[in-house]
Amino acid sequence: MAKYSWPEKPTLLGSAVTRLDGPDKVTGRARYTYDINRPGMIYGRMVRSPFAHARVVSIDLSPAEKAPGVRAVIAWKEPGAQVMYQGDPVAAVAADTEERARDAARLIRVRYEPLPHLASVEQALAADAPAVFPGGNTQTGATDETGDLEAGFAKAAHIVEATYSTHVITHVCLETHGCVCEWDGDKLTAWVSTQGVYPCRIGFADGLKIPQANVRVITQYMGGGFGSKFAPDVQGLICAKLAQQAKAPVKLMLDRKEEHLDTGNRPSAAAHIRAGVTSDGMLTAFDGQSWGTGGAGALSGFPLPYIYNFPIRKRTHKNVFINAGPQRAMRAPGHPQGCFLTEILMDELADRVKMDPVAFRMRNLPPAAPNAMWAEYFTRGAKAFGWDKRHATGDPAPGPIKTGMGVSAHRWGGAGRGSQAHVDIMSDGSVVVKCGTQDIGTGTRTIVAMVAAETLGLPMSAVKPEIGDTMYPFSGGSGGSTTAASVTPAIRVTTVNALDQLFAKVAPTLGAKPEDLVAQGGRIHLKDNASKGVAWKDACRLIGTEPISVDGKWEDGLSGAGTSGVQFAEASVDIETGIVKVTRILAIQDCGLIVDKLTAESQAYGGVIAAINFALFEDRIIDRVTGQMVNPNMEWYLLAGMSDVPTIDIMLNNMPERGVIGIGEPPTVSTASAIANAVRNATGATIRSLPLHPHKVLAAIEQQKAGGTN
Amino acid sequence: MTVSRRDFLKSAGVTSLATAVTAAGAAETEAQTGPRVVGPGDLPVTLMVNGKRVELRIEPRVTLLDAIRNRADLTGNKRVCDRGTCGACTVIVDGRTVYACSTLAIEVQGKQIRTVEGLSTGNALHPVQQAFCDVDALMCGFCTPGFVVATVAVLEKHPNATREQISRGLDGNVCRCGTFVRIMEAAMKAKGVARG
Repeated sequence: MAKYSWPEKPTLLGSAVTRLDGPDKVTGRARYTYDINRPGMIYGRMVRSPFAHARVVSIDLSPAEKAPGVRAVIAWKEPGAQVMYQGDPVAAVAADTEERARDAARLIRVRYEPLPHLASVEQALAADAPAVFPGGNTQTGATDETGDLEAGFAKAAHIVEATYSTHVITHVCLETHGCVCEWDGDKLTAWVSTQGVYPCRIGFADGLKIPQANVRVITQYMGGGFGSKFAPDVQGLICAKLAQQAKAPVKLMLDRKEEHLDTGNRPSAAAHIRAGVTSDGMLTAFDGQSWGTGGAGALSGFPLPYIYNFPIRKRTHKNVFINAGPQRAMRAPGHPQGCFLTEILMDELADRVKMDPVAFRMRNLPPAAPNAMWAEYFTRGAKAFGWDKRHATGDPAPGPIKTGMGVSAHRWGGAGRGSQAHVDIMSDGSVVVKCGTQDIGTGTRTIVAMVAAETLGLPMSAVKPEIGDTMYPFSGGSGGSTTAASVTPAIRVTTVNALDQLFAKVAPTLGAKPEDLVAQGGRIHLKDNASKGVAWKDACRLIGTEPISVDGKWEDGLSGAGTSGVQFAEASVDIETGIVKVTRILAIQDCGLIVDKLTAESQAYGGVIAAINFALFEDRIIDRVTGQMVNPNMEWYLLAGMSDVPTIDIMLNNMPERGVIGIGEPPTVSTASAIANAVRNATGATIRSLPLHPHKVLAAIEQQKAGGTN
Repeated sequence: MTVSRRDFLKSAGVTSLATAVTAAGAAETEAQTGPRVVGPGDLPVTLMVNGKRVELRIEPRVTLLDAIRNRADLTGNKRVCDRGTCGACTVIVDGRTVYACSTLAIEVQGKQIRTVEGLSTGNALHPVQQAFCDVDALMCGFCTPGFVVATVAVLEKHPNATREQISRGLDGNVCRCGTFVRIMEAAMKAKGVARG
């Protein structure tokens, strides 16, 4: 892999570069899928089940067909089919205005026969639960077991046994899911709000039974996905069918309620855990029976125990199905849940052996964790955060406001994989770099241009990045924090090869060998004699009419995998109202070679704030009687505002020798756990379940007074 | 089919809203004659958006946001929550920030409406827009137009705003990517240089 490497002294990589599309986004010029207005375009609207579980008896489309402005109506479900959750798609309509599409959707008459439903995990697990799901309301996975559990517990001086849990949250992408579909004969162009133009092309082709070659997917800008936007989904296929029937472009964007009900969520997680520790603070054994719900028929797995070394452990997991929208990957799927369940337990265990939580964690780190920097981060973070000022569990200060500190650690993968790229260098010196990736807000467009500009020794403005279109070379969906690690090597490889071709043309004119040349500062010159060279534009004149046109793809050696991070939180709790206020967060994170310092930091800030929402505010609440979501909106589904955001310090650890590794997900894993431990440290009461809503905080404080939560 | 709060307002037409939003003088006139009933069906509606007249024929139930986005192709401001909670549709009407998703287009005829598109002059960004770019106060960018407009409004009202004033001024806006820290940084950077 000697041929491809990152520059030892980069001019752009690792610096703070403002994102290229910033001006388009701040002026409103950026056209998201939601902003695409095509000539003759009409609007689609779906009809969804109001019941959590029912059988469709009949669907009468005729009143909608006769409504003003209606151009297409379709039934999605057949009579006799079941709807498995509130919001399950049933039918759709397209009309010449959004308002008329809404009117017409109301006219579609669907008769349902309501069936028994399961609105919660408790209902699904009840002994007399109705059999709702084929194959059972639960599905138990294989038991993961190492060592002799009872021998492990026999070595323990203390055993903590308790039940821990986290809740369901929804993605709340600000741009809802949806698309604009336009047919030209048998060819479909779809503007989709998606994290993966290529996966969407496959999704449309499979769903509509047309060749992939006939589908073009475009996503120039998209308003948030967080793991929920990889496929066209039902609304995409419906939009394409409506467009076909109406012979007009159709825009179908979901509304906020549909977005909560049917575009994914983070599954709940719970576990009954028994864990042992020796009197000198060594973990001995872990026995966990976990469960969780990913909604109707979807799984709910998560890592447990998380990170720390329980030498002997046993874990079984049960997927519980309920009549609610199915889960999808959500920012670091499984990790925030497994992290919370383990990290609260860790503080309880540390208290049993009267050890400082940081020292206790460091003592129990896994023996062989490649690339894990936890020990160093615990030490650095504790110093930077002022951890030595932390009091023991329970703030002794008088008055109702108690403050405390907490800590948590996490890990993530973030490896690269097969992205492809194409670069054209033209005779006037212009450069176009194409890659069928997409920018989900992380700054992908900007780092594509940065890597090309770095390699070619040009300013950012001299390179035109083209992304977000299946007309460009293949790149995978933006998930698993893999995009930067996939795309940047592809761009590097492709531009290095293109530059070699240019060097071959320039070398004879300089009386040099191609391998003696370097591209730097807008010039091509000899490595050992910068004065002997030509300006970029003059060099490119040698290209002639046929551009240098090079394809390339991701190669091993430029990206890495495996990130680690540690976070510290400080929170204050009003023990009279139960309101938690986060005051400070410190996030230490590595991500290999930092490409753009500015956008990398933004992702870390974003991850932390997302997890403050997870810890304190958001909660999908389903009515236990009707199975209806009671807060499918943004006034009762709470999210942080400016006043809720604490001081956040980000410390990114630049490790260029490891290559590029993604950072989108890891910073969101630890925050909620660190906050919960800070609340425990403040109040002296252990809250083993998220979110930390005031009523739970007050209940835990009361329980603590009455005899203890610990 | 549930009826959202705004659908209810829309189907109730202007009868309940008109009294709430018109000036005191107009309200008195209405008290004598009753509110003028308009619609259903399209009506001529004239809006002054970013200093330009926009002539539309729309139903009275059409919101200001849908009017400018779907009928005038001014797609900068977004619809996100669609019920006046998230601020992505924030526009400035006669100097005050307004949620365009919860304002009927017919209510704001004769008023000066400023959208995100009206802030920059040619290629020159408004200082608030420039500050957002400089400090990376945006990620996916979907909430950004609303935040930019809200920041402009708070800095026009308080040219030397404190962090607390900015925080209060922006508390009606939500960002899901989590750009708040840098939005505050941008607002603090732009203050003093922001102009109307």
